[in-house]
Amino acid sequence: MTNREYNLSSSARPVRHCVLIAVALLLAATASAQDWIRTGTGLGVEHVRLAAADFKPSTAALRENEQNYQLLKTFNDVLWNDLDNAGIFDLVSKSFYPLQEPGQPSEVNFPAWNSPPPNTSMLAFGNLGVSAGKVTVQGWLYDVKNQASPQVLGKQYTDNATTDATRVIAHRFADEIIFRLGGGIPGIAETKIYFVSERSGHKEIWMMDYDGANQQEVTHLGSISLSPRISPDGSRLAFSSINKGGWEIMMYSFDLNRMVSFPRFGGMNLSPSWSPDGKIAFSSSRNGYPNIFVVDQSGGNSRRLTNDQGPDVSPTWNRKTGSQIAFVSGRTGLPQIYTMEADGTNLQRLTDQGYAVSPNWSPNGQFLTLSWMRKYGPGEPGSNDIYLMDVASKQWVQLTHDAGRNDFPCWSPDGRHIVFQSHRSGSDQIWSMLADGTNVKQLTFKGGNTQPNWSWK
Amino acid sequence: MAAVTDSDIDMHYNDLDIYSEHSHLRRPLAWSLGLHLSFATFVVLYATFVPGFGRNSWGSGGGGDAMGATLVSSVPLPANPTGTTNVLATESKGLAKSEPTVQEKEPEAIPIPDKNTKTKIKPAPVNTATKRKAEPETPETNQIPYGEGGPVSGPYTMTAGGAKGGFGFTGSGGDFGSRFSWYVETVQRKVTENWLKYEVDPRITDAKRVYVTFDIARDGHPSNVQIEQSSGVPSLDQSAVRALQRIDTFGPLPSDYSGSKVSVEFWFDYKR
Repeated sequence: MTNREYNLSSSARPVRHCVLIAVALLLAATASAQDWIRTGTGLGVEHVRLAAADFKPSTAALRENEQNYQLLKTFNDVLWNDLDNAGIFDLVSKSFYPLQEPGQPSEVNFPAWNSPPPNTSMLAFGNLGVSAGKVTVQGWLYDVKNQASPQVLGKQYTDNATTDATRVIAHRFADEIIFRLGGGIPGIAETKIYFVSERSGHKEIWMMDYDGANQQEVTHLGSISLSPRISPDGSRLAFSSINKGGWEIMMYSFDLNRMVSFPRFGGMNLSPSWSPDGKIAFSSSRNGYPNIFVVDQSGGNSRRLTNDQGPDVSPTWNRKTGSQIAFVSGRTGLPQIYTMEADGTNLQRLTDQGYAVSPNWSPNGQFLTLSWMRKYGPGEPGSNDIYLMDVASKQWVQLTHDAGRNDFPCWSPDGRHIVFQSHRSGSDQIWSMLADGTNVKQLTFKGGNTQPNWSWK
Repeated sequence: MAAVTDSDIDMHYNDLDIYSEHSHLRRPLAWSLGLHLSFATFVVLYATFVPGFGRNSWGSGGGGDAMGATLVSSVPLPANPTGTTNVLATESKGLAKSEPTVQEKEPEAIPIPDKNTKTKIKPAPVNTATKRKAEPETPETNQIPYGEGGPVSGPYTMTAGGAKGGFGFTGSGGDFGSRFSWYVETVQRKVTENWLKYEVDPRITDAKRVYVTFDIARDGHPSNVQIEQSSGVPSLDQSAVRALQRIDTFGPLPSDYSGSKVSVEFWFDYKR
């Protein structure tokens, strides 16, 4: 697959590039003075108001060819969805847009965009063309309220004229916009979600794009596989699976596209979890009671971190520092969330009551998301809901309400989204939402799908 | 009265008549008497008839002509001989200096602790403020009366201030803010997201603005975080610094920007 990506300067014509470079060099020479920004915060900020105009066909052939026209439609839909899912934009509804939408920088009518009804700050626009089996996309992001130097971004992409490639281009352009306007956090449009599905008759590990597209089966073990966990570099997938000896940690390599060997520990081995530097923590009952163990990437150097009778399961590493582990322990009766240092010291209990399971540490190291039934027992109202807890202060926020049983929350790499399993639609399916509980979307529909795990990048 | 005394003397002399020859004394005595009487009469008449006398005219104006006077700017006193080394005869404090008397301090009496009196140890006030600008009292601008709010978002560069204030760019500070206002707003949004107001002491309801300065490197990493002007509330200052410490990156500086870093002055308004 050949794909190319260029940065577009203010004018797409290469002839002007030299001039622009010369001007930039001149500016670099003169602008030696220190630049100051003076700004501040009081009552919070609003989202960026962003308009995403439909990309225009740049070649005449595109309008006539139905198949190529579908590519353009796919591109526009994917781009819009990515920007809408990002959670950092206030997307201007397309019904507010001027009739003349731009396909080139010269066609941007600033007053029509930066005043009501669209009243937008940012405008994404561009064009798409197909020629000789190649799709070429030019995309720009303009700050339309800053007419003097409006260009924030200009990109050109070329790839084979297929739906998948076009989707990737749209994801990349959306990620560029999100990266620029979202403060340097890479977008998640190209991330994957791994999950357990029983649609093939057995519980196997599946994967899909973050928006639910491209669902495909990863393992074909024909037994029961649970709790998939992708490694930080995305090359390996650890999960627990039942076989002759009982529950063991298994490893799948995406480099080799096959299972690779991993030591068998005996007893019941469950819920692996990757540290940022590639160690694996998991729950093992090889010494009698389920306790938390840590091994390195190849399964060696096994070390026991907890030593008690209560079952300790579902470890999760502090994804930023790798120096802390949160886990579930039933040592006091009902399962509760605890944290400890990565060497097993400094044990602290986070949840005070109820039935708390499935902790997952946020990428910035600040929050845990967990599934919690705060009042547990016969006759008590409510069900498992997704909560957010600030690790330092133990303050928590409930994210789902009155929506069936919700479990296995997992953070997206940008720390703005949470994917989880919910029974609200009548069967267990994968859902995603923003980390404040809004913008809930169903990602899977077929069969029973559980235990989602979001890739690290 | 002088006249009475004179007549007494007169009578006295008359008593002496028998002893001396009074022929050549008689005439001068008569003159004397006459002159005395006339003087006494003049005094009485003057006191009675001349205006101004006897009346209290002190301080009152009027009367008398202006008197010419020559003002002297400096009194031409002879200059001091400068060469003198006489310690006692010069006006200067002198070359000699008396040694300061050593005052022997009496050892402070240590009060015997009393069971009934409570001793309060006052901690020294912790002053984290480096300097404090005098800031004029601003009226509460976050309260917008109904109907006076205006459009939700005005020009891009003005709404970036959020509800209160905004960012200003000084003339000497370069044109980064006007060229890349989207980046400035990104910085503002990111800091706001990472500022956890619950870290501030819950007893504080209102505080002065705290100013923090930092640099943003080419790769977007903030560094050199400093409190430029304290709010006077240590927990608020700390929450502001922590907000910035939580941020790994603001995203790379705009590719069109040639500088290696941008300096930011960021203020935090706290109100509960």
